[in-house]
Amino acid sequence: MGSRQIVEKSLTLLRSLPRISLNNIRDNPGSKKTQKRGRGQHGGDKHGSGNKGSGQRQNFMRLGYETGNNPFYLRVPQEHYYRGHHHRRQYPPLSLLTLQRIIDTNRVDVTVPIDIASIVKTGFYSFFPDQKHFGINLIDEGVDIFEAKINIEVQWASEQVIAAIERNGGVITTAYYDPHSLFLLRNPKKFFETGQAIPRRMIPPPDAIEYYTSAENRGYLADPDQISEARLKLAQKYGYKLPVIENDPKYNMLCERKDPRQIFYGLEPGWVVNLKDECILKPKDEELKRFYSL
Amino acid sequence: MATVLRSRCAFARLFTRKSNRILNNTIDSVTGLIPESQSVTFLTRQYSNYAKSPFADRITEQYNYEIVKNPPEWKYVERLMPFETIPQVIPKESYPGQWVPPKDEAKSLPFFISRTKNHDIPIYMETTFKGNRRITKIKKIDGDIWLMNDEIKHLLKTKYKRYVETRVHELARFIEIKGDYVNDMKEWAYSKGF
Repeated sequence: MGSRQIVEKSLTLLRSLPRISLNNIRDNPGSKKTQKRGRGQHGGDKHGSGNKGSGQRQNFMRLGYETGNNPFYLRVPQEHYYRGHHHRRQYPPLSLLTLQRIIDTNRVDVTVPIDIASIVKTGFYSFFPDQKHFGINLIDEGVDIFEAKINIEVQWASEQVIAAIERNGGVITTAYYDPHSLFLLRNPKKFFETGQAIPRRMIPPPDAIEYYTSAENRGYLADPDQISEARLKLAQKYGYKLPVIENDPKYNMLCERKDPRQIFYGLEPGWVVNLKDECILKPKDEELKRFYSL
Repeated sequence: MATVLRSRCAFARLFTRKSNRILNNTIDSVTGLIPESQSVTFLTRQYSNYAKSPFADRITEQYNYEIVKNPPEWKYVERLMPFETIPQVIPKESYPGQWVPPKDEAKSLPFFISRTKNHDIPIYMETTFKGNRRITKIKKIDGDIWLMNDEIKHLLKTKYKRYVETRVHELARFIEIKGDYVNDMKEWAYSKGF
């Protein structure tokens, strides 16, 4: 076996191995030495550990252990009001008053559909997907003063809010975004600069499917016929005349919706946006098309 | 000793199997594919570790794509870009969102409060000592600050019928009023047209 073969073998081995990264490296064996308590240090004193017993042996007991007592954390009965609160989906509120103010001060363009990306862009809505924030809860503060005609997509809305928007001839949709998509919507420029392909939006988790398929909540997975029926019902309930969208000059804008797998308006999953050269890279490969379709 | 030997043997077996695979995966002998080796088309399958996963071969390094220059979809990208500056407010007939536009007549007054970059009036409340001390602060004042101070004092005294303490900072161009008078001050400033 010549050295050439060894080199070739090593190179092939290297090719098949995973790349070195922070999660698969460790220190050389023996490079780290644990500190020990020098017995002769400081005149052979007790080094703050005290005299006699468990403390001197540095027998650190487990947290909450009270040396044989019934410990406090077991003595008091537990009531799990907030169990799992850190896993629950949070929808930080945005009021209709703030939305009207955003529109009045020209922070959003009402001639195009409004989604969470355009709301976050205004700076009037603080949004942290890493803190389990799953999108906008449009609340009914300022429901009486709201006058704008918009096509808005939020993540949660109450009945009054839906009525307030539809009374003015607008359209509201509630749509689910998975946390990864929300990170992209929070800062699209940062994402485009990474040069990655736009991913697909994920479908809602089992406990959210009911909300987003119901026409009463104007869910994005609901049947359009049922939605138009629910619009009419809501108009009758709140006693306003439902404006006919079909005769509206902004009909095309009001009908614009995202695909359930789409994150940004007009941009399909799988595309790569090049901000520097102002071009879009669209996949033609069958494998990629299959991956990004549905 | 026996266990050590066995473990060594196990290592040797593992190593030989791996090396065989590696040899099968070399560029020269792509034709001799073993059945375990698969192409990366099975994207959905996830393996728990590298040892159990089959060796990937025929990896597509360059996918076929088209570069669209000046795409019609670029307007959707531009829409997503952050504002370079805060947009100017286009004058409208009415502002239902409780935002009050500044008036031109305010420019002729001897004092002036300029708007912030967010087109808001710079009147704030500062609470200290756990909310026990409340101070109304009017910032960004131009012109005769002392005249403005007198006017504010007179206004609050006539309204609340008691003496109101104020503090004028000429250099930093702000007035501080002791107490919560934010809504009164905002109302007054909007009425003046600031």
